[in-house]
Order: sequence, then C-alpha cells, then structure tokens
Amino acid sequence: MTPRTIVEGSALHRRIQGANWSLSILLVAILPFLVAIPLKPSVFGNSYTIGLGNVNEAIAWAVAVLGLNLLTGFNGQLSLGNSFFVGTGAYLTGALVQTYHWSYLSTLVVVIPVCLAIGLIVGVPALRIQGLYLALVTFGLAAVFPTIVKLDQLDRFTNGSNGLNIESKLLPPDWMPIQGTLDAVRKIPLIGDWTGTESFSSRQSEAIYAYFLVVLIAAASFLLARNLVKSRPGRALIAIRDNEIGAEVSGINLSLYKAGAFGASALLSGIAGTMLAIDKGFVSPDDMGINFAIFLVVGLIVGGSANLKGSLIGGFAVIFVRQWATQTKEVPLLGWELNGPYGQMVLGVLLIGLMFAMPGGIAYGLTRIRARIYRVVPDIHHDGATSG
Amino acid sequence: MSEALLHVSDLEAAYGAVKVLHGIDFTVNVGDISVVLGANGAGKTTTLRAICGQVHTSGSIAFHGAEIIHEATADIVRRGIAHVPQGRGTFPELSVTDNLEAGAFVRKDSEINDDIEKWLEIFPVLGERRGQLAGSLSGGEQQMLAVARAMMSRPRLLLLDEPSLGLAPIIIEDLFGRLAAINADEGMTMLIVEQNANLALAVASHAYVLEAGTIAISGEPEVLSGDEAVRRAYLGY
Amino acid sequence: MFLLAVSIDTDPELLLARVLDGLRFGSGYGALALALVMIYKATGVLNFAQGELALLGIYIAWAFSVGWGWPIIVAVILAIFITATLAAGIERTIIRPFDPSNHLPLVIVTLGLFLAINSFVAVTWTTDLKALPSMFPSGNVFAVGVAHLTWSGLGMFITVFAMLGAVTLLLNRTKIGLAFRAVSSNIESAELVGIKVGQTLQFGWALAAAIGTLAGALLVPELQVLDPNVMLSTLVFAFAGAALGGLDSPKGAVIGGILVGLIRNVVVQSVSFIPSELSVGAAVFVILLVLLVKPSGLFGSSKVVRV
Ligand SMILES: Nc1ncnc2c1ncn2[C@@H]1O[C@H](COP(=O)(O)OP(=O)(O)O)[C@@H](O)[C@H]1O
Ligand SMILES: [Mg+2]
Repeated sequence: MTPRTIVEGSALHRRIQGANWSLSILLVAILPFLVAIPLKPSVFGNSYTIGLGNVNEAIAWAVAVLGLNLLTGFNGQLSLGNSFFVGTGAYLTGALVQTYHWSYLSTLVVVIPVCLAIGLIVGVPALRIQGLYLALVTFGLAAVFPTIVKLDQLDRFTNGSNGLNIESKLLPPDWMPIQGTLDAVRKIPLIGDWTGTESFSSRQSEAIYAYFLVVLIAAASFLLARNLVKSRPGRALIAIRDNEIGAEVSGINLSLYKAGAFGASALLSGIAGTMLAIDKGFVSPDDMGINFAIFLVVGLIVGGSANLKGSLIGGFAVIFVRQWATQTKEVPLLGWELNGPYGQMVLGVLLIGLMFAMPGGIAYGLTRIRARIYRVVPDIHHDGATSG
Repeated sequence: MSEALLHVSDLEAAYGAVKVLHGIDFTVNVGDISVVLGANGAGKTTTLRAICGQVHTSGSIAFHGAEIIHEATADIVRRGIAHVPQGRGTFPELSVTDNLEAGAFVRKDSEINDDIEKWLEIFPVLGERRGQLAGSLSGGEQQMLAVARAMMSRPRLLLLDEPSLGLAPIIIEDLFGRLAAINADEGMTMLIVEQNANLALAVASHAYVLEAGTIAISGEPEVLSGDEAVRRAYLGY
Repeated sequence: MFLLAVSIDTDPELLLARVLDGLRFGSGYGALALALVMIYKATGVLNFAQGELALLGIYIAWAFSVGWGWPIIVAVILAIFITATLAAGIERTIIRPFDPSNHLPLVIVTLGLFLAINSFVAVTWTTDLKALPSMFPSGNVFAVGVAHLTWSGLGMFITVFAMLGAVTLLLNRTKIGLAFRAVSSNIESAELVGIKVGQTLQFGWALAAAIGTLAGALLVPELQVLDPNVMLSTLVFAFAGAALGGLDSPKGAVIGGILVGLIRNVVVQSVSFIPSELSVGAAVFVILLVLLVKPSGLFGSSKVVRV
C-alpha cells in the first residue's frame, strides 16, 4: 500500500490539521470530567485506578521532560541532574505557599527567575565539562538535592525528611462553571455515561481546577519551547549538538548557548516542579533524587529525544507505565503475585528495550506509522493548482 | 605460474547503504609483494578492512584455498593474515615490548620472547626504546613498531595500509628497504596499498590500480610505470 | 544562620578517630572506584549501574549468610561469582549489541540497569533495614580514647590493597590482562592482532562486578545499614574517588577513594561551617573541581578526555 501524498497547505492538509486540532482541544476540555471520578477498569483480574491526579502529574512530568529535552535532546548535553531543578521549583512553591501563604500561581514569579539563575550557574562550569563527564557531575547534583533539603538549617521551610505537606487548598474561583460543564458533558451521547450521576465533591472540583491550571502552564511551556526550537537560537542549539566545532567556527557563541540551554532547561523544570506541587500538595526529598532524574531520561528516550511531542508522550508514559506496573498485582495467566516497586523495574527495562528497538522513541515510531498512511510534501507549484 | 595465497573475486563492501567497493578481483601470489595504488577515497583501506572482516562485504575472499569472507577478524588473524592499519594503529599506552607481545596474541608457542628480541634487533631504534610507551615514539618509529608487531604473529600474509603516510622521504625509503628485506629474508608475502607509487612499484612484483571502488588497471609494475595515465596520476611526471 | 568564621576541631584524639574512619570508609570507596575504573578503562563508559550490581551482590551475600546461615566468607565468595556471571551475561546480551565507540547509548543502558536492579532488590528483599555481618573479627587492634582501629577496619584496608595488587598483576602479567590493556588502548588494532574484543570486555564487566561486590561486602557492615538505597551515596563517593585518582588508573581509584574518605570524615566533620549532612555535596564538589582543573586526575593518562 503506497502512502497517500498530501500537499502541504492544500485544502485536504488544512482539513486534517484542523480536525487534529479540534479533536485535541475537545479531548483536553472534556478529559478531566471523564476521569475526575476515578475510572476503575479491571483487566485480566487486575483492577486499576486512573484518576485526574495521575493526568495532572503526567502533564507536569511532560513539562519536566520537555526541560530535559531542550538540554539533552536539542543541545546534546546529557543531564542526569534535572531533578535538582524540578525539586527546587517544587520546594520553592511549597515553602512560599505553606510558610508565607502565597497563592500557588504567584510562586512562579520566584520559581522562574531562581531556577533560571541556578541553571545558568550550573551551565557555566558545564561549558568545560563535556559528554559523560557532564553526566557524572549532574548525577552528583541529583544525589545532593535530597541532602540539601534535609539540612537542619532549612528545616523551617522544607520540613526535612518528613516531606512538606502544603495545607493550602487550591480553590477554584466562583466563576468557574465546573458543575455546569459536568452537566453539559453528561449530555454527550456515549461519552457522557462514563461520568456517572453523582455531583462533584470539593476535592474533585479542586482537581479539575488544578487540571486546567497545569494544562495552561504546560501549553505556555510547550509554546515557548516550540518557538525557541524553531528560532535562530534554537537552530544554534541543534547545530552545537550536531557539530560543536563546526558551530563555533560558523560564529555561534558556544558559552552563551550552552549555558542558555541549561538556563532554559532549568526554568522549564522549575515550572514542572511548581506543577507537581499544585497537583500533589506534598513534596518529599527522597522523591526528588537520582531516581527522579533517571525517570526523566526514561521519559526523554521513550517519548522521543529532540521531539516536542515526544516530551508529552514521555511524561505520560512514565506516569502511566509506573501506575500500571504498580497496580498490577498478579501476572495474567501465570498467576504470579506482584508486590513492590515494580514500576521502577518496568521503566528500567523499558529504557533498555527502547534503546534497542526504537532509539527515536514513540514519537518517531508514530511518525513512521503515519508515513505509511499519508505523506505531506511541500507545495512546489505556487500556482495554486493544488489548492482550492 | 606461482601459487595464489590470496584470491579475491567479485568483492563488494559497503558502509551502511553506501557501497564503496563494486566487485573487485585480484590475486596475491606466495612470496610476492603486490601493490594496490589508488587516490584518496578510492577504497584502498576498505579493501584491506574487507579482507580482515572489519566491514560488511559480499563476494569471495579465498586465503590459502579457504573461504574466509564471513569469518570474524580474530579468526582471520589466526589463519595467518596480519594487518598494519592506516595511521600505524599501535597501542599508544603500551610499551614497545608490550605492543610486540600483543602482536603475538594468537600464538601459543614458547618462542615469543625470542621473536621479540629478534624484531628489536631488526629494528634497532625500537630496541633502544623497548620500555618506552608507543605513544611517545616518532611517526617513523611507530610505523616500524606496527610492522614488527604484525610480524610477531608469524603471518603468512602481511597487509600494509599506506605505510608511507605522513613520513619524511628519507624514512619512507628506509622503510621500503626494510619491507623488501623482510620479503626476501623471511619469504613474507605482502599486499601493500599506497598512494606513493614510486617506491611501492619499485618493490612490487605485481600491481593494481584502484579507482572509485573498481580495479582499473592491473599488471607488472614496469608496465604500470610505463602507462601514461598511471604516470600522470600517481607518479607525478 | 551559618557562621562564616572557620573553626576547626583540633582535639588530637578526635582527629585521629576521624582519620581512621576516613581511611576505613575511603578504602571501601576506593574499592568501588576500582570497579568503575575497570569498566571505564576498557570501554570508555561510566557504568552508573556499578553500585546497584554491588547492591545485588550484597543482598545475595545477605541471603546466604543471614537467611541460610552460611559463613559470611562463603556467602560473599558465592555472591562474587554470581554477580560476575550475571555481569558477563549482561555484557553479552544488552551491552555488546551496541557500537562500542558510541558511549552515550551505552550510558543510557546502564541507567536502565540502575533502575531495574535497584527495584529488583527492593521487590525481592523488601525495603526493610537489614544488617550484613562483617567478614572480620570484632574488636579493636588498638584504642586511644575515642580513636580506635578495629580489626574490620584494618582487614578492609588490607583487602582493598590486596585487590589492587591482584588487579595490577592481572593486567600486567597475564595474557587476558594484555588483551584488556590492548582493547582499552585501541579497539580496532586489538581486533587486528586477533584479540576477541567482545570476550575481553565481557571479562572486564565480570571482573568489575566481582570487585564491586567485594567492595560492598566490605563497606556495608561498616555503614551498619543495609537497605536498597545504601549504594547511592556510596556510588557518588566512589565516582569522586575515581575522578580524583584518574578515571583510567586502578591505583588512582584506590588512592582517590581513600582521599575522598578522608575528605568526608576529616575535612567535612572538622570544619564547623560545613554541615556534615553535606558530605555527598563535598564529593560532588571534588568531582567538579577535578574535572575543571585536571580532568585526568592524579594518576590518569591525559587521553582520558574521550567523550
Ligand atoms: N567508516 C566509514 N563510514 C562511511 N564511509 C566511509 C567510512 N570509511 C570510508 N568511507 C568512504 O569509503 C570510501 C573509500 O574510503 P577508503 O577505503 O578509506 O579509501 P582510501 O583508503 O583509498 O583513501 C570513501 O569515499 C570514504 O568516504
Ligand atoms: Mg585509506
């Protein structure tokens, strides 16, 4: 079967794009109402719970993976320490909300500049440390973060190894028609039946509000990253990754861009940290260590390195694969009982498997599948023969 | 007609999707020095790497009558093919004697140490520097070491990839003199690929010209020296 | 608030105690660093899973000794063989298929191994605290006030240097050692002299796993805790030791590890304004400083900058 050829900018192409966008937006809009009351599917004797909290967490992770992607995927600097930046964002938000009673969103005013600054500071020595050595130093950074959080001197803000519980609720503003929208969604045929008939508890309303907040922040982050990657500086980042000496010879300021990549990466990671704090209302030092950093690498590779959609896929993959593995209590057919942190094991195996089978990640795989169905070619005849 | 030691036929080689050798044929007879001339990028290195099983190949490579095209490099070496790679390929962090000992890796006999002494005598510059790290030797010394290391495996066929590359003319002359001597004294069969045609043709018993992955001309060295095109392209007069 | 005035404890007994502690822990870090260096030397890859392979070995030794009641020495020797065999299998199945000259994918594979082994241990033996018995008799060789040299500390120190001696002999006096050095120097040429590169690297992985398991079995009883996270900070200290000594120098690994141990126990604990919880941070600082100032470390060859 030969793939169908579609000319870029043609009516058909625009219709496909339009349909993609409308479907995506519709999905984003009604998804929270479908999962706000957690779904409890049962598969092969295992019962799973999928709630809005998982979705929110996955969106936060997508932004964290995006941050790593800018640095590692697009700029070629392997960082095993991005958990440091995510953790910084999460703890800043947590401490400002809990200790100083800021609102969640306003903490971004502090998180963004602080994480940017830390990223730039880390990026400067990174200029002289390359490849695996950079991986080593950043690995150390990831290992240090929990010990900093646990320092007695910071206990007042971080609550040490117990983790920081953020008591402030994320109350949806009165003008948000959450119940009204729910009623409307229930009228949609087929899909509406999923949502049941109860009205939302306040916790569910909060989760829905949190969802729209993280979606907005994530959309802004992805837009920012997209514009960056497509701009001149973005092309410079890629040129440095592909051929550092060549890039330098052609007049690209290596120091500026490589440190800048760290800064941008840390900024997005910090935002992701804020999103995680919003979603969970709890931050713990041992969740923000080396394993977190490596999970980010899993998200990067599984989703697709140097691919923006890949970051979205990667964030969801990490959260839902882990969720799925942790909630699977019995291996179907074999009847083995499972108990313990299998999620991490599955992610490790997945990372190795992807390196073998699909080093470009899922995003690349999807592109290949789409290429079998249709192919978009640029419009080379500008006479309008193919459009209209 | 002398006995063929290496007989290559219809050899193709590729790096990924890029085909570099397009079916070449040549023969190296026992006791001969055969020379393959070719410009940069003609595929000389690839030819030698193909013989040693280091690139993806198809066709036939018969060594001493046995087909070796699908064998692993380590097994090909055990059959008696030694390779002096382009750019010497010594072990820079190993001493001169350790380099020679590594050259004898496939041997199991008890004469390895005697052989090391023998080659340190044949190449006295190496003898004077036996404990020095190979990486600290000059280019010419490294090339001698590479030849000696290859000879340490007691091969039946010695492959040399542009031994003259990057060496001063006087050193190149010395080197080719030594190669001719090894050929005469040890009866060592050699296949030398070169861009430096003058000296190579002087020691050769048979020569081939490789152009863009195919054998363009083959014949006696005198015939090639007389060929107008070869003269202009490789001999520079 | 931190006091910026530096005050240093100078009580000689306390200082001696800290030096002895530093030597003890440092030799453990040095042993794990030696394992890291073996892999780096052979392949140019930083094996982030080295600590977890050792962790697996330690738990196997725990299972044999505490679980089944076998003598601890026997348990450790068995664990060494098992992890070495496992590492050889890992090399054959998931390392060798990759291009050895492209290090980044290989490092990512070791990260996958890190996650998988770490959680395998947690799933198999739970995350409850355990204790691994020492291979050495209890008690002190001598004691001066708070400072005491334990038999286990002395035994550990001697074992680590014996290990270094054995590795040095192996590398310099045996045929497999020659192959190992040749492969680490020039893979293509190693092939051309008939060395089976894959098998040699496999040997390197097995040897490193064996060294790492022994390092863990020495160190964990001194740390007095065993849980699935015990090797995390240890790995950072070991990396610091390896970087300080020079990433491709076995001797450097052991000496660097000991220096890092001394930094951890003497410098960090004696200088009042460095919170002792920040010892991991001190190790990271050492890594950073070495890589910035002298990437080849104290004893490494300058070729080390291969990325
Ligand atoms: N590792 C490689 N990957 C891809 N192409 C290669 C590789 N090595 C050589 N080539 C290509 O193969 C051709 C022949 O190269 P080579 O055999 O090295 O030529 P020569 O030794 O005659 O100079 C050249 O066009 C070169 O670019
Ligand atoms: Mg060549």
